[in-house]
Amino acid sequence: MQGRKPLSIQRQRGMREIDWTQYMALPALLLFATFFVYPLIRGIGMSLTDWDGMGEATFVGFANFTRFFQDARAMGDIRTTLIFAAGSAILLNLVGLLYALLMEKPFHGRSLTRVIIYLPAIISPLIMGYIWYFLLQPGRGYLYHALEQLGAPFTLGNWMKDYPTTMLVLILVNVWQYAGMTMIIYLAGLQNISADLREAAMIDGAGTWQRFTGVTIPLLMPAIRINVVTNIIGSLSVFDVIMSLTEGGPGYATESLSIYIMRMCYGSRTGYSTAVAMILFAIILLPVLISMRLTREKA
Amino acid sequence: MNRPSVPFRVFRALTLLLICLMCVIPFYVLLVLSLNAPSRVFYEGNIFVPTFAFTNYVDAWGKSRIGTAMINSAVITFGTLGLTILLGGMAGYSIARRNTRLNRGIFGLLIACMMIPGIINTVPLYTLMRQMNAVNTLWGMVLVCATLCLPSAVFIYTTFVRSLPRELDEAAVVDGCTGFKAFWRIIFPVLKPATASFVILNGFGVWNNYAQAVFFLQSREKQNIPQALSVFFQQFGGGKWHLMSATAVIAIVPVIVIFLAFQRQFIEGLTEGAVKG
Amino acid sequence: MKKVLATVLALALCVSAYSAFAETKVSFFTGKIETVDLLNEIIDSFNAANPGIVVEQEYQKDASSIIKVKFASGEVPDVMTTYEQEFVDQGKYLDLSAENEWWDRLVPSMRDSCTDLKTGKQFRVCTNMTMAGFFYNKKIYADLGLTPATTWDAFVANLKVIKEKMPDVTPWFIFGKEAWHLGHLIEFIPHGYLKQTLGTLECKKAMLENDSAKLNFGAADGAMAVFAQNLLDLHKEGLINEDVLTATSDNCVEAFTTGKAAMFSNGMWALSGLLAANPDMADQIGFAPYPAYMPDSKPVVLCAEDSGYSISATTANMDAAKAFLSYLFTADNQKKYSEALGSPSAFTDVDANWAPAAFAAEVKSVLNSAVNIGFTNEKPAGFTGDDAGRMVQDLLAGTYDAQSFAQAYEKAWNEGF
Repeated sequence: MQGRKPLSIQRQRGMREIDWTQYMALPALLLFATFFVYPLIRGIGMSLTDWDGMGEATFVGFANFTRFFQDARAMGDIRTTLIFAAGSAILLNLVGLLYALLMEKPFHGRSLTRVIIYLPAIISPLIMGYIWYFLLQPGRGYLYHALEQLGAPFTLGNWMKDYPTTMLVLILVNVWQYAGMTMIIYLAGLQNISADLREAAMIDGAGTWQRFTGVTIPLLMPAIRINVVTNIIGSLSVFDVIMSLTEGGPGYATESLSIYIMRMCYGSRTGYSTAVAMILFAIILLPVLISMRLTREKA
Repeated sequence: MNRPSVPFRVFRALTLLLICLMCVIPFYVLLVLSLNAPSRVFYEGNIFVPTFAFTNYVDAWGKSRIGTAMINSAVITFGTLGLTILLGGMAGYSIARRNTRLNRGIFGLLIACMMIPGIINTVPLYTLMRQMNAVNTLWGMVLVCATLCLPSAVFIYTTFVRSLPRELDEAAVVDGCTGFKAFWRIIFPVLKPATASFVILNGFGVWNNYAQAVFFLQSREKQNIPQALSVFFQQFGGGKWHLMSATAVIAIVPVIVIFLAFQRQFIEGLTEGAVKG
Repeated sequence: MKKVLATVLALALCVSAYSAFAETKVSFFTGKIETVDLLNEIIDSFNAANPGIVVEQEYQKDASSIIKVKFASGEVPDVMTTYEQEFVDQGKYLDLSAENEWWDRLVPSMRDSCTDLKTGKQFRVCTNMTMAGFFYNKKIYADLGLTPATTWDAFVANLKVIKEKMPDVTPWFIFGKEAWHLGHLIEFIPHGYLKQTLGTLECKKAMLENDSAKLNFGAADGAMAVFAQNLLDLHKEGLINEDVLTATSDNCVEAFTTGKAAMFSNGMWALSGLLAANPDMADQIGFAPYPAYMPDSKPVVLCAEDSGYSISATTANMDAAKAFLSYLFTADNQKKYSEALGSPSAFTDVDANWAPAAFAAEVKSVLNSAVNIGFTNEKPAGFTGDDAGRMVQDLLAGTYDAQSFAQAYEKAWNEGF
């Protein structure tokens, strides 16, 4: 292989070419700045007002933020959101990785299986929740009746009665729907790990577990990073799954912060909802920064 | 390569069978619901077998205008993905290979904004789009969705490009390509796993987008699939499930067909891997 | 020279003739799905009959949320079905008080129902009435020798008889998973009591001004607390379905049409769903008012205006918009509309078969015998019917008892302003 040729080769050739590569991120920036950053800045201003969405907006300083932390319903929402995200993000990664490991080596029907596992992510979240509720509704769900007719009366019990069981079901539904996506990313990552490296490790006498932790996981870091960050962000902003299964109920027991923000926004407390959105951003920021640091690539 | 052991294969087969069964059940339910007449009481008789009311499909097609909606969704999705792959790929390449202050700033900005709940933007973005006369247009929707997918694209591409060996860049320089040409001819084909990952992660989010569609797609001609589905929800409770499921099935079948047909390229693209080294 | 002048003149004529044919676009925004197709038909025939005007319908499932964003960004539909007190206060709607060609054809009480209390003007026109009350199974009642109750005690007695004699049948089916339904119960029963004792107009005023002396939500023996206690008692004695918090309206329709539920509360919009599920049941569906549950009160039935249309105050196409509405309001079109929607028309010259004859007759007699109450549009902007419904969910889940519920309700109501 040829040795490294520094960029100065261009100057050696006598041609002062502009290195366009360093500017290639600008078109993306342009699109993003126009349609996201600019509205965002105007939106952030709203969080310091008590705007109701229509009339005058009066400046209230940080009142929105203090009010948030005094609201019992909001505190409950934070708890729900955190529990959901913790369970969901962890399980999604574990299950996705498990699927990927199972699907790594070729076997008959592997292509079809891959597609089937991914399928749930295709259904619009709008109706996914209804289908799930239709299946799982305590006492009346399709699954209840089906198992009855199959002669195996199966009491799943009233999972909506207690907070822990409700949250568990919500997490499991979310994992089930999106594990396929996580799996695909891990599969991509696994395939990128050269088989040679793994053979080499085996020859060195390393056991399966050591091979896994010493070789596979470190080389899988890019995939882990993408999955962990995406899942954290997605789970902390959860809306569809909870909305369509429990609507945040009963009462406000399983309401997530995103649902709270939406209800405030359309409940004529638009300025306040913007402030809460910024708080949610801060809540998302912390775990993401931590995980990005933890999954940093070793050179 | 040694074949996996028998116990492992058995375990794998059983587990995957169970998982596939679980994944298929909701589609089965959807199918059964779509073939039931509205007067069919759900739990009498054999609940596994519907009444085969195929007229539901005819009704659903007409009432929901799902045909137009599918075309709209397709246009929006392909437009968004194309735009984002191009811009995101270029940006990822640039950020990974040229660690300038500008690029670091752009990367940080995009990642930070990925974590911002979209609802903050809604009103100012809507106003902006109106000023551009972009409301109720497909291209306007494409721009909005592309903006939303961009951070994810840049994140994925940057991560993948960083893991590519520098020899590729050098090879490009030797060939006389720099900048965009180098990107397009040499780097991009090798980024297929990243592109596939991105499409898979975000494609269906755009296809099934509802949160943005309700604001930016208004007339029936421009509405997308979830909006077409929403016509069967009633204001006070319930909905016409048989028609809604029929519509959902109509919308899903081509997607599954395309997915199955292209998944060779799609997912094999993932497994082609990068340079062996 | 003459030729040039002639050409110029001809061109000018052409241009002005062309601009006379330039299209006026009228945007019509609706959240009402049941009649979208019929409206499209009517719109098509209007467009055909009026070259130069093009009406376009936009339907959105979450219309009442989306209209807020539309208002906020300054883009307002010309004609819309969404109507809220806060929008009236902001001056978003055109004053329609002078449209006598419409008002004269409507029942007299309609103008009152559509009047905004603060200004005394009308900013919307409603074409239909909708009712809400108890739908009950006539056959079950006949078999058990029951008649619809007018007092709460008689009501509970009926429920107990049903439970005892027919243990498989749910006496009163409440689908509590859907917060709007519980919100409606609050609307019809406790608020109904207030509207009845204070009188419609006084009650509206009291709510607008948040006159807590009159409203008295937090009182331990007030309308709210008694309602909460009644509900809890019914739940405890098994007179409502056990799974009230997880049951949906689909479950309710199924239970009722298979004879597994004796009654449920809902509005006329539910009728078509019942008939679709079991067409043979048409003459077994009865309609009854909400029984009187406080001392010195009377049974109430909701009789509210429905299908309202407003015009934007800032529309550039006022004449076209009004022309469209006039066309929509013709007797022929309203007859079709009424039958499609399944609720009676408020126009005196429209005679529609909006429901099976026996049922319509019973509804009419209930309207005559019970106190008519309307919907509360004068709710605080930050405390909706759904929010109220969610509080009832908490109540049934055991988070509140009757007293704390009443107090929490008052607090939430006050904070919503």
